[in-house]
Amino acid sequence: MSEPLLEVRDLVVRHGATTAVDHVSFSLAPGETLALNGPSGCGKSSTALAVLQLRRPDGGQVRFEGRELTTLTERELRPLRPRLQPVFQDPYGSLSPRQRIRDAVAEPLRLRGRRPTPGQVAALLERVGLDPSYGDRRPRELSGGQCQRVGIARALAGEPRLLVLDEPVSALDPSVRAGVLNLLADLRDERGLGYLFICHDRDVVRHFADRVVELREGRVTSEWRPRRSAAAPR
Amino acid sequence: MEPEVVLSVRDLRVGFGGVEAVRGVSFEVRAGEVCALVGESGAGKSLTARALLGMLPREATVSGTVRPDLSGARGRRIALVPQDALSALSPVHRVGDQLAAAVRSVRRVGRREARELAAAALDRVGIPGTARSYPHELSGGMRQRAVIAMATVNEPDVLVADEPTTALDADRRERVLGLLAARRESRGTALVLVTHDMDAVRRYAHRALVMYAGRVVEAGPAREVLARPRSPYMAGLLASLPRPDGPRRLYALPGAPPVPGALPPGCAFAPRCPRAAQVCHRGEPPERELDGRLVACHHPDPAGEPG
Amino acid sequence: MRAAATRSAGLLAVLAAVGLLPWLSGRDPALTVLRARSAEQEPTREALDAVRRDLGLDAGPLALLGRWAAGLGRGDLGASWVSGTEVLPSVLAGLRVSLALMGAALAVALLLTVVLVVPVLVRGRASAGAGAAMLAAVPEFLLATAGLLVCGVWLGWLPTSGWAGPEHLVLPAVALGVPAGGLLGRLVADALPAVLDERWVELWRGAGVSRARIRAAALQRVLPPLVPQFGMVAVGLTGGAVAVETVFAVPGIGRTALGAAKSQDLPLLQGAVLALLLLGLLTGAAAALVRRRLLGPALRDASLALPAPRPVRTHPAVPGVLAAVLLTAIGWGLSRDPYTVRTAARLAPPSWAHPLGTDGLGRDVLARLGHGAAATVGTAAAVCLLSLAVSLALGFLPAVAAGAADIANALPPVIVGILVAAAAGPGTGGAALAVALVSWPPLAAHAAALVQEVRASAYLTAQRAIGAPPWWILTRHVLPSVAAPVARHALLRLPGIALALASLGFLGLGARPPAPEWGLLLDESRAYVERAPWAALAPAVALALLAGLAVSGASYAQRPRTGTKARTRRMSGVGA
Repeated sequence: MSEPLLEVRDLVVRHGATTAVDHVSFSLAPGETLALNGPSGCGKSSTALAVLQLRRPDGGQVRFEGRELTTLTERELRPLRPRLQPVFQDPYGSLSPRQRIRDAVAEPLRLRGRRPTPGQVAALLERVGLDPSYGDRRPRELSGGQCQRVGIARALAGEPRLLVLDEPVSALDPSVRAGVLNLLADLRDERGLGYLFICHDRDVVRHFADRVVELREGRVTSEWRPRRSAAAPR
Repeated sequence: MEPEVVLSVRDLRVGFGGVEAVRGVSFEVRAGEVCALVGESGAGKSLTARALLGMLPREATVSGTVRPDLSGARGRRIALVPQDALSALSPVHRVGDQLAAAVRSVRRVGRREARELAAAALDRVGIPGTARSYPHELSGGMRQRAVIAMATVNEPDVLVADEPTTALDADRRERVLGLLAARRESRGTALVLVTHDMDAVRRYAHRALVMYAGRVVEAGPAREVLARPRSPYMAGLLASLPRPDGPRRLYALPGAPPVPGALPPGCAFAPRCPRAAQVCHRGEPPERELDGRLVACHHPDPAGEPG
Repeated sequence: MRAAATRSAGLLAVLAAVGLLPWLSGRDPALTVLRARSAEQEPTREALDAVRRDLGLDAGPLALLGRWAAGLGRGDLGASWVSGTEVLPSVLAGLRVSLALMGAALAVALLLTVVLVVPVLVRGRASAGAGAAMLAAVPEFLLATAGLLVCGVWLGWLPTSGWAGPEHLVLPAVALGVPAGGLLGRLVADALPAVLDERWVELWRGAGVSRARIRAAALQRVLPPLVPQFGMVAVGLTGGAVAVETVFAVPGIGRTALGAAKSQDLPLLQGAVLALLLLGLLTGAAAALVRRRLLGPALRDASLALPAPRPVRTHPAVPGVLAAVLLTAIGWGLSRDPYTVRTAARLAPPSWAHPLGTDGLGRDVLARLGHGAAATVGTAAAVCLLSLAVSLALGFLPAVAAGAADIANALPPVIVGILVAAAAGPGTGGAALAVALVSWPPLAAHAAALVQEVRASAYLTAQRAIGAPPWWILTRHVLPSVAAPVARHALLRLPGIALALASLGFLGLGARPPAPEWGLLLDESRAYVERAPWAALAPAVALALLAGLAVSGASYAQRPRTGTKARTRRMSGVGA
């Protein structure tokens, strides 16, 4: 097996006196979907934020594409960030309410000094199953599922290798959820993306993940593979 | 022998400013039965449930009948378990006082007796000795139990639970559903369960009513509806759920549910329906009986596949 | 804890400013004092030096402050520069009168609050907020003048000046109590509908709790978080007392302070201001105590904060019409001459030549109104802009903003006005400075809250996640989301700031005659109000319109909150 895309070792995250993540270790191969599963407050989301370095961990290592992230400064991290992108649970909260969809999707490109053409933005929107005419709207004018697709398009704009999906479908109705899960599965197959998939719903995890790490009270309790993923070709 | 009917709804319609959001819903709830209302957000499930309690928003216009009318007997005959039980208690009142307020509003008892009844109700849901606590002093699980204790303190015949498990993790979901089921077993309380958690429906409900765009599109014994849906809507909804033995690619219903007031002509589901034919776009299908089930579809499918 | 620290630091600063007043004022009071003491003595250098030595003005500021503080410790407030008598007894005498007045005013306020809140409790949803807000916005000096005119002069029902018996208490107490009651009623009436929308009400209704019990519980829920604001209203009474006592010639502490400021009698002023501050502090402390008693252990709950009240909006035509009427009158008045004195046409009734009549010197009232608006509103706009700039800069320092807001809330503008006037002399600049001092902190607090809200929002985390550097986030996301609402807020405070300026003008602490400032116009017209009521009516109506504009416009500043949580809940909760 090739070098892991993401390797987390002995990760520790503390909130005041409580230890939210207590020496958690796992690794993720390119193109693999690893799920973190467990009840509320088990440390799933804290792990996600620490992997993304949006909250610096209190201990342990996070290696992404062979580089140690925890020792990098914020400035050194910035050029790497587009390659590991989050998709958050609240589809409305993660987009600026003032920004048009078009600008939100184009922002990661602009940040890297490029001047995105309307065609690029339209292509990104189409790739996530949205009509390019939605570019003129603001987040409030979209449904939850549509907003979540915009969030995915924005993540894709940075040409990432790893998506950290923090409960991306938990706020969605089942029929909408199916569409978003299918989209994520297609993108995974098409671009060989690795997913760190955080989800409390066992059925969804079993369906979507290649491997599942169970967390309880900040510790890894077990690791398992959904039975069919090895057998069924994608 | 079938148990008695405790609640009978006929042609219920709920509108806002001339736009109907619930468009003629009829069903019965029997003693000791769990009746699930399922469907996507905006299908009118919550409005239907609230109509049973007489707790619709002020500006709503209601027609049709709910017999017997229990809205004047809230607490004693019918009670609500609201969504998001974690934040449903008043932050400035002691838990026991909140329950006692419910007791004293419904029964003619003294302050002391009300307090005892409140304590007993907290005891029954497994959190004895919390009567003098404020909600913020309790854990999330305890607060959920306190909410259920509040809804059941006056021993109602019917409990309406409005998405009681939405946004809860698996452990907490089990606990809430377990408490509600225990209530049914010990006192024969009927339960109207509004949910889109099909797993809860499969395991707890006796009957399921599937709603779409303000109408019941399919109704019948819960297990049968889930195992062999006749309406293409329910079939599509089930196919969109991840299952261990299901296909790798989930079925996603195309399009979005219609907005009340801008319904398509004919069957409201027709624009998203794989089985839609000309007749579906012309007229709304009537409800009809199909081996013990009620289906409102021009092309009900005995196989129960989405198309 | 931090709030307590900033508050005591602020208090110390104010105390030091009070103690240093003689030095701060910078002008030589020796001449004033000499004149006051003996009209015959020649103001020779020797005589003036003697007075200075006598007053201790030759020592440095620190020695001055030390001496004052030491005297304070012994209960010695010094002697009046003007009369030479001890300050403490006159302060205590004034305090006794003012306490009686404020007590009566508080009773009026509570009565009015009940009248405003009961309909909301009975009807449930519809708020009495708009009417209450109008009452709360009417400044005390305007209400006092109106009460004096109507009940005292025209109807002759009640005595209008002095302090001789309970009947003397009625008009001042009403003038002082009604705005306070309007404010209290508005706070409760605005909060109640939002509380009745809280999740627990649904649970309680669904469990069969009766309407009456839910209403009572809602009131229990609303009151404790509002108690600190009630304390602030009580503090506001100390400011209002200055105007009301002046209008009705009540020998209270407020009038004492104002008189002392005008006659440069600094020891008396120090004593009176100290008493007013102490009064405010004690009510604040009492409010905090009441809140702790009311809440008990529930105090530690984070969910205790009241939900944001839904803004009660008047019809959009209301502020539009008010603004149109005001602008028309002002525009018309601006084209006329406000200064020419025509003794032949004194106190003329309204006519085609003088649409609003003339004043005691035969000057055109409409012209003075129009030019007065330019002065008042122009100054207010400058104050507004300054406040906006300061608050945007300080919004990024939430601790400073919150502390400053605390202090500003505890200081009524009139008292600051008295202090500034005592230090710098009365004038437009001093009044503007005084109003600016108390008007930026609320804006800064708003800006700080917005900055914090934006910084905590998930989309800012998302910004960092795509690798946006701090300056990008600041200029493209934080500043745009903060500047626009705070600017709107500042604009909507404009009428309120103009009213504060007018009330300082009315008390003689602002613009000087013959400037046509609105407060000053009202004050001047009081002298001949029986013969020329229109001269008083015009500025009074203009000020009332401005108050109406302040309220009806302000509701459009608050956007109804559309948090995603509330939104999803609404959608899944109500279905449709």
